Amino acid sequence: MTTAIDVFIAFCVLSGSLLVLTSALAMFRAKDALSRINVFSPATGLGMPLVIVGCYVYLLQREGFSLYHLFIGLVGFASLIIVSSIASNTLSRATLLSGSPVHRYTRPNRLAYARGEDPHVDGPAAMHEPDEAQVGDEAQVGDEPRGDDPAGN
Amino acid sequence: MTFVFWTAIAIFAVAIGVGLVRVASAKDLGSRAIIGDLVYFAAIGILTMIAMLTDISIMLDVIFLSSLLGILATIALARILTRGHR
Repeated sequence: MTTAIDVFIAFCVLSGSLLVLTSALAMFRAKDALSRINVFSPATGLGMPLVIVGCYVYLLQREGFSLYHLFIGLVGFASLIIVSSIASNTLSRATLLSGSPVHRYTRPNRLAYARGEDPHVDGPAAMHEPDEAQVGDEAQVGDEPRGDDPAGN
Repeated sequence: MTFVFWTAIAIFAVAIGVGLVRVASAKDLGSRAIIGDLVYFAAIGILTMIAMLTDISIMLDVIFLSSLLGILATIALARILTRGHR
């Protein structure tokens, strides 16, 4: 039983640290600041909570159950997810407001253009940004450029 | 278990090193801010591992306080980026 718990703690701790390392390596692959903020979320949303779980189980094995430890662990787990999400949202808003360039392949870029006014979008088929639910319906997507064309071209 | 904790410390340290290299090579301030956040959380992970290695009973308190207060640095950097505007 003790071995199984040790393996569980090792799994939590090592996978949490590997997620943080993966996020750090992904910073090189992301092309703009918004994408970098996006690829950081596995570290705070999954990596550090896994470290908390491993830490709590380790403490449970060492010192037994304690209501205080359970409370601290639960609040830390929830706050890592909630607080870091709010922080990422605030930082990405500030990044965009400060004029940081968005990568040119970011489409649709609804932060820069109103719907249907994106000049980089090719043709009316792409102008109607298809909802994810309708993409599978090929007949409906195929009919859309001819049927609904607000620009008239 | 000692080997596991040292391995995790090494992985966190590599993450910090990779992040610092990225800070040096990044051009925009938003990237630097978010990589600073990454280095912060990796440092918290290292502190937790050290606390587990040395059997200090405050290991959960460290993560608890740092996860609650980690937002302050990020929001301060975000405010600096926008020159005080919301």
